Amino acid sequence: MPVGESVLIVDDHAGFRAHARRLLEWEGYRVVGEAADGASALEAARELRPELALVDVHLPDANGFELTSWLGALSDPPAVVLTSSRDGAGLESCVSACGARGFVPKSELSRRAVEELLR
Amino acid sequence: MTQPRSGARRARDPGPGRLRLDPRLLWALGAGSAAIALALVPFLATADFLPDRALWIVLDVVIGGGFTAVGLFAWYRRPDNRVGALMVATAFAWYFVVAGNTEPAALWTFGQLFSNLFAATAIHLLLAVPSGRLETELDRVVVGIAYVATTVLWLPVLLFSDPADFGCTDCPENLLLIDADAGFTDAYFDALGVVGIAVMVTVLARLFQRWRRASAPLRRVVGPVFLVGGAFMVALAALLAAGLFEPFGHGVTMSIFYACAVAFGLVPYVFLAGLVRGRWLRGRGLGTLINRLGQPHQAGTLRAELARALGDPSVELAYWLPDSGQHVDADGRPVELPPAEAGRAVTEVERDGRPIGAIVHDPALLDDPEQVRAAGAAAALALENARLEAELRAKVEELSASRARIVDSGYAARRRLERDLHDGAQQRLVSLALSLRILRSRVAADPDAVEELDSARGELDQALSELRELARGIHPSVLTDRGLDAALDGLARRAPLPVDLEELPTERLPDRVESAAYFVVAEALTNVAKYAHATRACVNVRRLDGQVLVEVSDDGVGGADPATGSGLRGLLDRVSAVGGRLEVDSRPGQGTTVRAAIPCA
Repeated sequence: MPVGESVLIVDDHAGFRAHARRLLEWEGYRVVGEAADGASALEAARELRPELALVDVHLPDANGFELTSWLGALSDPPAVVLTSSRDGAGLESCVSACGARGFVPKSELSRRAVEELLR
Repeated sequence: MTQPRSGARRARDPGPGRLRLDPRLLWALGAGSAAIALALVPFLATADFLPDRALWIVLDVVIGGGFTAVGLFAWYRRPDNRVGALMVATAFAWYFVVAGNTEPAALWTFGQLFSNLFAATAIHLLLAVPSGRLETELDRVVVGIAYVATTVLWLPVLLFSDPADFGCTDCPENLLLIDADAGFTDAYFDALGVVGIAVMVTVLARLFQRWRRASAPLRRVVGPVFLVGGAFMVALAALLAAGLFEPFGHGVTMSIFYACAVAFGLVPYVFLAGLVRGRWLRGRGLGTLINRLGQPHQAGTLRAELARALGDPSVELAYWLPDSGQHVDADGRPVELPPAEAGRAVTEVERDGRPIGAIVHDPALLDDPEQVRAAGAAAALALENARLEAELRAKVEELSASRARIVDSGYAARRRLERDLHDGAQQRLVSLALSLRILRSRVAADPDAVEELDSARGELDQALSELRELARGIHPSVLTDRGLDAALDGLARRAPLPVDLEELPTERLPDRVESAAYFVVAEALTNVAKYAHATRACVNVRRLDGQVLVEVSDDGVGGADPATGSGLRGLLDRVSAVGGRLEVDSRPGQGTTVRAAIPCA
């Protein structure tokens, strides 16, 4: 049984959620939930209280920056790492402004990349 | 071959002769009127009971002749306009009044029977000038009442009144008298008088209202008629009031009657004077127009010249475009010619048999349509030039509109393509990368497998990065999501040399403006990195006077030439496609500055 930090994956692509879950669980995280849009992500975060949220920049009902600030307003907020398959150029100021811990390109996702940002 | 005429209407003025009018009818009416007027003279001269016989002879000839002559002239000029016929009818109605002042009992009775009809035709005429039509329901009602009151309702007066009862002891015998009833006639006469005064007051109010609403050229024609006609109405109302209240003696009442007759008799003469004055002013204007058009003049003054020549400040010009089958204004924008009921008149101008445009003007000018046509003919060459100019403007307008549509649809298509790439191939490759990562840690014990997977992973990262570049080149999604400042910030960070972002708009701009500005900066920075050997670049984007000014400068070697570089050429096209201008300032050794001005309302 995985006993690592709890993670919520927020992305509207089911294929990416499945692969990210397998990778993160393989690398020792405990994936407690998945959400496909901003609203259900906020609900899941309230209920599951994950330590970490991996949030896609593009969501159908909001963007990742908005969701990050909503999550930051929760009583026990998760650390948020933003991700996208597009590159992060031009997003740097938005990433820090909304209170996210950092940005990792989807293809670079790994425990090491996440821990680097959380340090 | 005739040109397509959809949307174009012929001048609505049929002009003289276009409506069939037999001139023999006019001759017959003129001769008849003259014969009656002259035949009545001896009867007037011998009417013993009549006090002012000489004056009556003058009134007979001057009023009858005036209405007949001017009426026939107006009728001949504008067969479709009822004004001329109404004048002639008024002349004949006047002869009843004259006949009612002659001695033979039959002639006297016949004249008295219709002795008020002239007032009804005159009211009809005054309300119908100058178009010949009664404009409002009120006008039609008033004219209807006037005709009924002076014919059907007047008959009982003759049936029941003996002139002797009203102080005319030596008047001829009333042949229609059935039973003399002075009491009834008195009351009935008073009631008719009240109706008459009400009609006159209404006509006066309508004349005043129509004068106030009339345009300048229309006032020149109808102003004098309304003034004299109004005086006639006042005098006639006073005459009726005198009959009601009998405040004056017989002498005063007769004076009012003569004032009334003079005002009435002046109507055709002032009508003629208004026509002549309007035409004379326009004739003089036409000479000036021909002179002025001979001199070099600026575009746009043609309308003003025509307005001056025709004495109608409301003149508008419409140019006919045979290709698109529509009229346009001087700026090339499509215009509709006003419909018939809009209170405007249209005269088309042709050159060598081809329509080249139309003059939209006040309908009052139609009293002499040749003048408008002559002005149009004099201005035809200038109008043709202006038409070609307007046609060109219309084409340019159309082209820029279609170019804007193409730019917008291209923008939308690129956005869609970028999103498809992102949602499709990019996601699958990302999933593949994550799978490879898991696989690699699973086979960590097998060095050959690890090496093979690392090589595959390297290829995959390369493919992903190329795909990202491609997608961004098609459309930078950060531009849509975060705006121009974030997108330019990204460009600056990716550039291989330090880029200072000096001033950037924080508000969102229209898509095509943001997109054009972004690509200007992207292409300029690419060029800086490739050719300039610069140490720094500087980006500046600001809004000024409805434009977005984009400036990218560097401290490199300079010498860039938009004529040879395909990148700068493409940029030039991209900027001019959104109606902007691009200039490159790149003297050797002085660095390069690329400036774009993009319209942004």
